[in-house]
Amino acid sequence: MLFASLSGAQTVVKVGYLAALTGDWAAYGQTEVKAAQLAVEEINAAGILPGGLKIELVPYDFRSRQEDAVNAVRRMIEQDKVVAIVGSNSSGVNIAVAPLVNRAGIPQIGTVSTNPRVTVDENGKVRPYSFRICFTDPYQGKVLAYYAAKKLNLKKAAILYDVSSDYSQGLREFFIQNYKKYGGEIVADLAFRGGVDVDFRAQLTEIAKAKPNVIILPNMGKEMALIIKQAKELGIKDVVFMGGDGYADFMWDIAGDALEGSYWVNHVSPEDPALQPFFEKYKKKYNDECKEFVNGILGYDAMYLLADAIRRAGSANPKAIRDALENTKNLKLLHAVITIDPNTHDPLNKDAVILLCKGRKAIFHDRVRPEEQ
Amino acid sequence: MESFIQQLINGLSLGSVYALIAVGYSLVYSILLFSNFAHGGFLVTGGYICYYALISTGNNIWISGLLALCGAGLTAIITERLAYKPIRERTSVTLYLLIASMGMSIVIENFWVIMAGGRFRAIPPVLPTYPFKMGNLTISSFDLLVFGITILLLFGLEFFLQKTKWGLAIRAAAYDLRVAALMGVNVNKLISIVFFLAGLLAAVSGIFLSVRYTLYPQLGFITIKAFVAAVVGGLGSLRGAVLGSLILGTAEMLTAGFISSQLRDIVVFGLLVLTLLLRPTGLLGKAVSEKV
Repeated sequence: MLFASLSGAQTVVKVGYLAALTGDWAAYGQTEVKAAQLAVEEINAAGILPGGLKIELVPYDFRSRQEDAVNAVRRMIEQDKVVAIVGSNSSGVNIAVAPLVNRAGIPQIGTVSTNPRVTVDENGKVRPYSFRICFTDPYQGKVLAYYAAKKLNLKKAAILYDVSSDYSQGLREFFIQNYKKYGGEIVADLAFRGGVDVDFRAQLTEIAKAKPNVIILPNMGKEMALIIKQAKELGIKDVVFMGGDGYADFMWDIAGDALEGSYWVNHVSPEDPALQPFFEKYKKKYNDECKEFVNGILGYDAMYLLADAIRRAGSANPKAIRDALENTKNLKLLHAVITIDPNTHDPLNKDAVILLCKGRKAIFHDRVRPEEQ
Repeated sequence: MESFIQQLINGLSLGSVYALIAVGYSLVYSILLFSNFAHGGFLVTGGYICYYALISTGNNIWISGLLALCGAGLTAIITERLAYKPIRERTSVTLYLLIASMGMSIVIENFWVIMAGGRFRAIPPVLPTYPFKMGNLTISSFDLLVFGITILLLFGLEFFLQKTKWGLAIRAAAYDLRVAALMGVNVNKLISIVFFLAGLLAAVSGIFLSVRYTLYPQLGFITIKAFVAAVVGGLGSLRGAVLGSLILGTAEMLTAGFISSQLRDIVVFGLLVLTLLLRPTGLLGKAVSEKV
């Protein structure tokens, strides 16, 4: 890395990486940067970029806070002169920095930022420089509703969501919309404040009173694990817990056996044979299991998505990269074949994976594309 | 009604953890007249020492607990010696101590970010957390444990303050530090003892909080609520700190359960503002001017 940057500015292009390296989401962010670094080394070694260009990754920490993210992106653009930005995994953060990257004309690829407004503004117009590699919350909410009501036949749901998160609110909204259409009933709908609240017993006591058969948790790993643990300590039984793509393996450390039997919508399954080479390389390089596998794989694949766009653009001009990203078609990546929808900048028709917690592991359970109501 | 009582139980259990933290605040405040915001750092330090000791001793909670208590107590003493003593010796304006404590809280938090990483860690299951039923009410065995140990520790502290020579010195210093010094009390030693005790209590709450909410470097953030509790109860008054904590814990749970969890913090800080408006010294506090 050091030698590459010394050998001359023309051969190196800087790519910013926006990640939470400290704070509540540090586990996700650190995994993403490590995985992206792995991809960058492979991309540079294979000479994928045109004209002998090499990528230099510039990671910035946004500490799970939007104001830090805005500063980080400003520095990436003004100081580091990056040609593109990968990350973050947070919808709220990507929505906060979207005006910045779009004004500066620097393409950005969200990794696990699933809120629709990451790539499409309030007026329904696509943000020209904002992209993502994951599926969206409307889709994820629909998958959750479909799987709970139709596949598991659980028709009485309670929701406990995070009012301070765009991701959580969006997923909750799209779940409710679809769940009702699939014949389900919402018996309790309660909220908490993420990043501040760690005690959910008050809400859980109210939820227990409503006697749901499924509790929907559209949140992030730490909170979901704490909720499930505290539910067990309050003696809540005979309820299935379901959540979105915030699942992470560290939840087992927090909630232990209480996690058994819960279902999680996800982007990828850690057991997918196609992903094993990545896990091996990651382990070899960092001597660490890639526990936050969704972030690892999407961070890794996002770098390849970007590298492919630079290759097809034939230059590292941000505008040219943007145009190439928009025209990505049938690009074979590790976890999926990606075609970008030019109208929304979302990948088209990705299957969702359902994970089931069993035997202290989240195992692959099902692959779904929900039926229309 | 049942759910009201259940929320009350939840509130008391939360309040008893606040109480341990708030008493630590009050103890330091009563001597040095400043709020030590590094208290959350002592708490996190206790949590991490316990965590690593548990792992390396094969889950021996007694040894690990003891190490955590001593470790956090020493951290508190070192923090005082490094950051507060030099200021204390140069000026009598306590505002500088307050600012230094904010800095120290960030220093300790980041120390653990570097040492342990930002990841969430769970204390191995050495403390019982299983629920048991009383009619339709559910009580967690952990809540009873926390409640019991909190009461035990607070009585122990009260005993120390009332019945021992150093306890007498601390009470005298709380009344007037300078006069106590003139009467032959070794002030530096006394302050170290006070900080050690505060660190000890912080470590206990750190272990409890890590068991309940997992361990991460920012866990000390919760001390802000305990600080509010200490102010509501009356800064400098140990009984006030306990009372304020129990009130705050129950108020939080009842608000979140029956009104809205979004209003939880508004109620907490509303209580703070109300206290400052109606009774600035808190429920059981003495006016600071009486002390001077």
